[in-house]
Amino acid sequence: MKIIEAIHLAYDYIRTDENDKVIERTRALNDVNLSIEEGSFVCILGHNGSGKSTLAKLINGLNLPSEGTMLVSSRDTKNEKELWDIRKETGMVFQNPDNQIIASVVEEDVGFGPENIGIPTAEIWERVNKALHAVGMEAYRMKSPNRLSGGQKQRVAIAGTMAMIPKTIVLDEPTAMLDPSGRAEVIRTVKELNKTQGVTIILITHYMEETVDADRIIVMDKGKMVMDGTPGEVFKNVKELKEIRMDVPEVTELAWILKNEGMPVPDSVLTREELVSHLEKCLPKQADFQPDFVKKKPEHMDITDPVMRVRNLSHVYQKGTAMESYALKDVSFDVQRGSIVGFIGHTGSGKSTLTQHLNGLLKATDGAIEVNFRDNSALFKTDGKTKTKNVNADTAAFRGGKLISDMSESIKMNPDNTCNEGADKSKNIAVFREEPLHEGMERGNGTGFVNIYADGFDMKQLRFKVGLVFQYPEYQLFEIDVLTDVMFGPKNQGLSQEEARKRAEEALKMVGLGEEFWKKSPFELSGGQKRRVAIAGVLAMHPEVLILDEPTAGLDPAGRDDLFRQIRSLHDKVGMTIILVSHSMDDVARYTDQVIVLDHGELRMTGTPEEIFKRYKELEEMGLGAPQMTYLIHDLKDVGIRFEDRPDTVEEMAHCIVDLWKRYNKEEHGEDRASGKEAR
Amino acid sequence: MFREITLGQYYPVDSIIHRLDPRVKLMGTLVFLAALFVVNSWTMYGVAALVLAILIKSSNVPFRFMTKGLKSILVLLLISVSFNLFLTPGEPIVQFGILKISREGLEIAFKMGIRLVLLVLGSSLMTLTTTPNQLTDGMEKGLGIFKKIGVPVHEISMMMSIALRFIPILVEETDKIMKAQQARGADFESGNIIDRAKAMVPILVPLFISAFRRANDLAMAMEARCYHGGEGRTKMKPLRYAGRDIIAYLLMIMYLAACIASRFVDLI
Repeated sequence: MKIIEAIHLAYDYIRTDENDKVIERTRALNDVNLSIEEGSFVCILGHNGSGKSTLAKLINGLNLPSEGTMLVSSRDTKNEKELWDIRKETGMVFQNPDNQIIASVVEEDVGFGPENIGIPTAEIWERVNKALHAVGMEAYRMKSPNRLSGGQKQRVAIAGTMAMIPKTIVLDEPTAMLDPSGRAEVIRTVKELNKTQGVTIILITHYMEETVDADRIIVMDKGKMVMDGTPGEVFKNVKELKEIRMDVPEVTELAWILKNEGMPVPDSVLTREELVSHLEKCLPKQADFQPDFVKKKPEHMDITDPVMRVRNLSHVYQKGTAMESYALKDVSFDVQRGSIVGFIGHTGSGKSTLTQHLNGLLKATDGAIEVNFRDNSALFKTDGKTKTKNVNADTAAFRGGKLISDMSESIKMNPDNTCNEGADKSKNIAVFREEPLHEGMERGNGTGFVNIYADGFDMKQLRFKVGLVFQYPEYQLFEIDVLTDVMFGPKNQGLSQEEARKRAEEALKMVGLGEEFWKKSPFELSGGQKRRVAIAGVLAMHPEVLILDEPTAGLDPAGRDDLFRQIRSLHDKVGMTIILVSHSMDDVARYTDQVIVLDHGELRMTGTPEEIFKRYKELEEMGLGAPQMTYLIHDLKDVGIRFEDRPDTVEEMAHCIVDLWKRYNKEEHGEDRASGKEAR
Repeated sequence: MFREITLGQYYPVDSIIHRLDPRVKLMGTLVFLAALFVVNSWTMYGVAALVLAILIKSSNVPFRFMTKGLKSILVLLLISVSFNLFLTPGEPIVQFGILKISREGLEIAFKMGIRLVLLVLGSSLMTLTTTPNQLTDGMEKGLGIFKKIGVPVHEISMMMSIALRFIPILVEETDKIMKAQQARGADFESGNIIDRAKAMVPILVPLFISAFRRANDLAMAMEARCYHGGEGRTKMKPLRYAGRDIIAYLLMIMYLAACIASRFVDLI
C-alpha cells in the first residue's frame, strides 16, 4: 500500500522585505513525483541544498507545497483539519539531538507527544513503556537528557515519535552530529523498528554505509530526483554519482575501478564479502605472488625535528579527593615539524582535553609540553617592552608569513617542490632543521625547546603559534562581515589594521574563499563556507601548528573532500604542522603520517597509520575500528590472498589488486604456453 | 566557570521529598522563605537550619551537590555580609581607619549570612527534587485561577520548563565559545570595564545566534510532535494530592505558626 505519495511536488523558499514584498524566490524542490510503500526502508541521498530536508518537512506538513500535492495515507497535507492526524502518524527526528528534546527527564520527553494529542494518562504510560522498550532505552528512563550520549539522545527522540504510534518515521540526517558508535546505535535501532514493528522509515543521510541495507535509495540533486532504485541499481552509476559530487561506499568504488581495469567483477558490489568472493576467483593464492607495491614513507619521518614534545602529561580532576579522575594520564609523544598527526579515540577518551593543553587553554596537573617554533622570540613576557612591540618584532621575523604570500610564485619556480622557499629568502626549512637554535632563541634560555609551563611564558602567544580550530567552529563567528571576522585573531595579536587585513585576505584565499565573499555576512554563507571562514580566522594568525578538531563533522561528502583538499594543500605548500582529531579511520589512514590513539585518557598506541591499523583488533576493543580497506585486506588474507605492504586508500588498493592480477594472468598464460610447447 | 550553577538541575534519585506534589513543594519553599524573614532569634535560625537539614537528609541529595549552588552566590553573599558588617552603627569592637565593626553589625551580618545561605539551600532543594516539568505543572495548576482572567498560564509554564532545560546546554555552549575565542587570542581578563564589556561581544553574538537557532529547531520539533498549545492536552503525570501531601501542608502550617509565634514570645 502506498503510504506517501507526492504528485508534481514543488516548493519555493520566499524571502520578503519588511513590507512583505517578495525579494527572492528560490525553488528548493521541483516537480517531484514519488510514492513510498508502507513498511519499506527508503534512504534519501543528496548533498546540502539538494532539497532533501525540504522534502522531509513536506511529508510531515511542516512545510506546505507551493505546487503539486503531498498525500500521506491519502490525506492531503494542505487540508488543515487533517494536519494533526498526518503529524500523528508521521514522526520526525532531526539532526541536532539537543534541539528536539523538550523535557528534562527521558520518560517525560517520550510522553510529550501523546500528551499533545490528548491520550488518557494510563495509555500514555503504556505507550511510553513500549516506545522506550522499542529503542532499548528503558534503563535510562529517569535520566536527564543532558547526561546521555549523542546516540542515546537520538534514540530518545526516536522513542518520542514511536510513542505516537506512527506509520512512518522521517529521519533528517539523524547521525550527522554523532560519533561512529552513536551512528551505529541509531541505525541499528531504526532498522530494528522497520523489521519488528513494520514502521516505514525514510532516512536522509550523508553516510553511504548506512544506505546499503535499504530497500530503496533516492538521490536528489538541485531539487529533483535524479536516481531511484535499489542500492544495487543506484550504486551501479558510480560515474554519475561522482559527477553530482556524491560518494559511493568504498567497496563499491573499489569494485568499480577494478571492473574498469578489465577485471571480472560485476557492477555495484555493495559488501566486502561479495567483493572477496569475486576476487577469490581471479587472484593467486601462492605466497610468491606479492604485489610490488611499496608505500612511500613521508620524508620527514626520518628526520627528528619535533615542533612539540609532550612529556608525561596528566590532567586530573579533583585531585586528592575520592572523586579523583584522570582526563589524561602520563601522555608522552612528539609532533614532528611539518607532519600531519591524527588523534583518534572514542568520545571521552581525552582527545579534546589533550588538544586544549597543546595551546594552553587547559593547564596540565603534571608533566610538560615543550615547543620549538621557527621563531620563539615572543613566547616570553618581557618587562619594559610593550607587548605590541614584541609582536611586531615577531611578525617581521616570521618566515611562515612570507612563505604563505610568496607560495604561489615559489611553487611555479620549483614545480617539484624541493625547495619550498625562494632562493632570496634568508633561510629555508632545511637550515632550521640543521640548527634549531636560531636568533629568536637568544632571548630564551639557550636551548631550542621551551617548556610552556616555565615562568614568564606567555600563553596568549602560544595560542597564536598553535592554532586550534574547534568542532563546529562556525558557531564562533560574530562579526558583521567575513573579512572583519577573520581579522579578529590578527588584531588580538596586536597587528595594525592594514596588516590584519592583509593577513585576513591571504587566509581567506588559502581556504578558497574569493573576494566576492569578503563583504558578506558570515551568517549568509552555507555550512561548509562558514566553516572555512572559521578556519581562515585561525590561519590568519599564522600558526605553525594547526589543530583541527573534527573539521568535517556534519559536512556533506563534497564539503568533506573540499576541506581535506585545502588542509592538504596548507600542509604541502606552507609546511604547516597539522594535528587532525577525527572519528573517521578512513580519513586518518588517508591523510596522516602519524597516529596517536587515546583511550580513557591514556596513550595506547602511536605510530604510522600502517602500524596502528595492523592492530585493528585492539582498536576494536577500544570501541574504534579500522579503515574499510584494512578490513578488506584481512578478509582477503583469510582466503589466502596476501598483501604485505598495507595500502590504505581505495586508489592504492585498486592499484595493488590490478597489478597483482595482471602479473598473475601474464605468468599463468606464459605457463600455459610453456606447457603447451612441452606437450608438442 | 559556569558549571557550578545547580539551579534548575534535577537530581534524579527517589525520596519522600521527590515524591511530594510539586504544589506542596512550591508552597513549602514559599513558607520556608517567608518564615526566614519572620524569625529573628538565634534559636529560630537554629530550628530553620535543623528543619532544612532534616529535609535535605530525607531528599537523598548529597549535601555536597547542594553546596555547589552556594558558590555562584558567594560574591553576593560577601557583599551583603560586608555591607552589614561595616555599615551598621553601634558599639565598635574592632576599628580599621574609617571601617569599624560593631557588635550589632557583627550580629546582623552573621544573621544575614545564615539567612541567605538557608534561602539558597532551601530553594535549590526544591529545584533539585522537582523536575522542571513537575515544577511548571505545579505552577500551571496552582496558578490555574489566573487563567480565567486571561493570563496564559500554560504558555508561561511551558516557556519556563524549556528555559530550565536549556540552561545547562547554553552554559556549556558559552564555555565552548569562550574557549574558541580565547584560541583566537581574545582576552577576557585584562583591561578596564569598557574593554571587558567589549570583549563580551564575541561571546554574546554567537551565543544569541545559537539560542535563536535552537529555538527555531525546537519549535519545529514541537510542532512535528503535534504541540498546539495547552488545549486538549492530557498529562502523563497528572497532579493528585496524596496523604503525604496533606501531612506536609499541616507541618508547614505548624512551622509557620511557630515562627510567627516566636516573634511574640520572648522566651525563645
